[in-house]
Amino acid sequence: MSVLLEVQSLSKKFGGLTALSDVSFQVPAGAIVGVMGANGAGKTTLFSLIAGNARPSSGDIRFEGRSIVGLSADRVCRLGVARTFQIVKPFPAMTVRENLRTAAMFGHAQQRSREAADAATQSVLHEVGLAADAERPASALTLSGQKRLEIARAVATGGRLLMLDEVMAGLTPTEVAQMLDTVRQLHAKRGLTLLVIEHVMRALMELCERIVVLHHGQLIAEGTPAEIGAHAQVHAVYFGGPA
Amino acid sequence: MARPGALWVGLALAGVAAVALLPLLGNEYLVGTGLTVLMWLALTPSWCVLSRLTGYVSLGHVVFYGLGAYLVVTTWQQWPLWLAIPAAGLLAAAFAGLVGGPALRVRGPYFVILTFGLAELVKFSIMAAESAMGMAARILFGAPDLLAVYWMMAALALASLLLLAWVSGSRFGHGLRSLRENEEAAETLGVPVTRYKLIAFVLSAAIPGMVGAVMALRSTYFVVGQVFDPMVSVTVIAMALLGGGDGVRGPILGVLFLALLSELLWAQAPLLYMILLGAILVVFVLLLPDGLIGLLQRWRRKGTAS
Amino acid sequence: MIDTLLSGQLLFSALVTGSLYALVALGLNLVYGTMRMLNVAHGDLVMLGAYGAFWAFSLAGVSPLLAAPLVAAAGAAVGIGLYRGLFRGMLAKVTPSTAGKLEGNSLLLFFGLSILMQNIVALAFTPNNRAYAYLGEVYRIGNVSMTANRLLVLCVAGGVCVAVALFLSRHVAGLAMRAVIERREAASIVGVDVDRVQRLSFAVGFGTAALAGVLMSMLEQFSPFSGFPFTIAGFIVIILGGLGNVTGGLLAALLLGVIETYGVALTSANLRSVLLYGSFVVALLVFPNGLLARRLVTR
Repeated sequence: MSVLLEVQSLSKKFGGLTALSDVSFQVPAGAIVGVMGANGAGKTTLFSLIAGNARPSSGDIRFEGRSIVGLSADRVCRLGVARTFQIVKPFPAMTVRENLRTAAMFGHAQQRSREAADAATQSVLHEVGLAADAERPASALTLSGQKRLEIARAVATGGRLLMLDEVMAGLTPTEVAQMLDTVRQLHAKRGLTLLVIEHVMRALMELCERIVVLHHGQLIAEGTPAEIGAHAQVHAVYFGGPA
Repeated sequence: MARPGALWVGLALAGVAAVALLPLLGNEYLVGTGLTVLMWLALTPSWCVLSRLTGYVSLGHVVFYGLGAYLVVTTWQQWPLWLAIPAAGLLAAAFAGLVGGPALRVRGPYFVILTFGLAELVKFSIMAAESAMGMAARILFGAPDLLAVYWMMAALALASLLLLAWVSGSRFGHGLRSLRENEEAAETLGVPVTRYKLIAFVLSAAIPGMVGAVMALRSTYFVVGQVFDPMVSVTVIAMALLGGGDGVRGPILGVLFLALLSELLWAQAPLLYMILLGAILVVFVLLLPDGLIGLLQRWRRKGTAS
Repeated sequence: MIDTLLSGQLLFSALVTGSLYALVALGLNLVYGTMRMLNVAHGDLVMLGAYGAFWAFSLAGVSPLLAAPLVAAAGAAVGIGLYRGLFRGMLAKVTPSTAGKLEGNSLLLFFGLSILMQNIVALAFTPNNRAYAYLGEVYRIGNVSMTANRLLVLCVAGGVCVAVALFLSRHVAGLAMRAVIERREAASIVGVDVDRVQRLSFAVGFGTAALAGVLMSMLEQFSPFSGFPFTIAGFIVIILGGLGNVTGGLLAALLLGVIETYGVALTSANLRSVLLYGSFVVALLVFPNGLLARRLVTR
């Protein structure tokens, strides 16, 4: 399997604070990889660096074999990397459809006309369950709806790598199950590669093939969910003792 | 974006006819008034290209107008008009290109006061330069007559409206609106926000530059402080706020209302006109943020709902 | 030229200007810190204070020294009134997400209010320049000549600034004020009476603006449109000095006074506005987030 995303010795310092320290891992094409860690472990910083919202202090990020460090966020998106935001950032006054139109027009898909963009996003609306809300303003959606919109927008860019930042947060158990289902469908139907930050353990373990564990900005473990579940250091960090 | 209904197409045609036929009435006062309305019709949509669509509200629009006027005045009788007027537009656009990069990194209300400060800075700098050169005011001899100025302004007004209409409906315009809604999200979805903001800024500058150039011909008497009048910037904002909306209908409405009102008030009571401007800003920001277009839309919705 | 530059005369002039800017910026700091809205009408309060002193002197023969506390109190009362009537309601409705939009729109709102104030005053009192002569005697210390009124301005403005600075850093109510400015919700959680503190901020903010106006009226002629440069100066000072940072504000105000005074001396009086607006533009470009670059303030 080819490697879609590779992170090499990535570090990020904010003044005196080290958010990420020498993090390296690979994401194979088509895989679903999870990122786990306590608050402040550096997970969202990692996403911001990969997506181009921030610049690393040192290290390399390679997407489809080429380095994307230093590229602006919009260029990274056009290359095929899409992310959601933990605190949702919809375009409030625009309709759901218009929100997706932006993604289809300016993301990797680069649709030139409104009609082409809307046609391309129609299927996304259905897959994410927002077809009924297509003409409603984004501000009118519930939190669950807005989280779906974040995912839909990211998918609508047409990118190959989808980075989901805590999309389960704040959802009821039923909603979590629905979301898991949606995410799996998107992954299967569209041949996407997923990098997923999650706090909801059940979702993370069920969804991901591999998990990467961050702690205080360092990568302390990497492996399958089973391996992570038995990992001594992960246990020490999360539960304060051996397995 | 709603397609204009038959009513609007009819009004537009009537407007074009009015503009074309006005000079035939032979009344110089009417032509002068028409010229003023056309001037605001040229200035306001160009402002909307930046400030309505991106949300970066500029309180310094007059700087482009002033720079254009200054170019014509300083090259008077050295450059032919067919060169000077487009050059004025280019100068304004170049200024925007130069300043836009750093300026557009400033967000929200800071951008608003920055643009104001920038316009005042240019004004006082030119004043100081003129004073150092010993010029108090400049007078243009042999300027074209009122009718020529009128037609030039009509062309600029048309260009401005077409520019706003085209940008508003284009892919570029959708990108601008996206960054207005949430700049970080737009950039993460692939919108080249820095480049787009700058393009909008530069586009918004060219026409006001040429408007300033043409108006210099009208007044033939150039005093820096009057030409770089911040009230021009405020009036443009008031007209756009009054009209509302993202497209061309709002500015047209706003300009017509306010320009006609001001014609009535300006000669009689200029202070009252200022008070009116201030009141419009207060009322429309607090109570009617969507302007008259928003009001019309609400009435229409109430009508269809019942 | 060097003699002029090194003379105490210029330094004195810079100090006087700086102290006045410091007073205006102090008030603006408090009001902006509380409201989070750029009150571009702040300078017009200064203008109103100036008119207050002028009419007190011309009509009733009341000296500005006596009028000062009265006008300042009137300003404070107006501030409290506006807070109760208008802003308390507005501030209560603001959430972190709507705050940005409100801030943007509010600038136009205050700009409209500013235009209204300036032109209503112009309509009522005519747009002509006003001035009066008060305490014009000249004292000499060394080779610096100081008119009594300038000396007075320096003392009063400087004194009030120091007093308010001490209040903010030592007195409990002052600390509460700074807490509310920095993080309103956190302050209320630890038991600060946010409403009372905000009222006090408005009172002090508006009161100091009015006082600055009284002082200004002693030194130069003014018109309904004289307030705006003070707004600009006030903003330069708080952008450079930092929101809620009183010492920073004092230093920045002095710096601005120095730039203006020495700049004009080095070049010409024509450049006074160029220097003012030039500093303003540079300050904003260097600190693109205005005050946010100094402190991470999210509400």
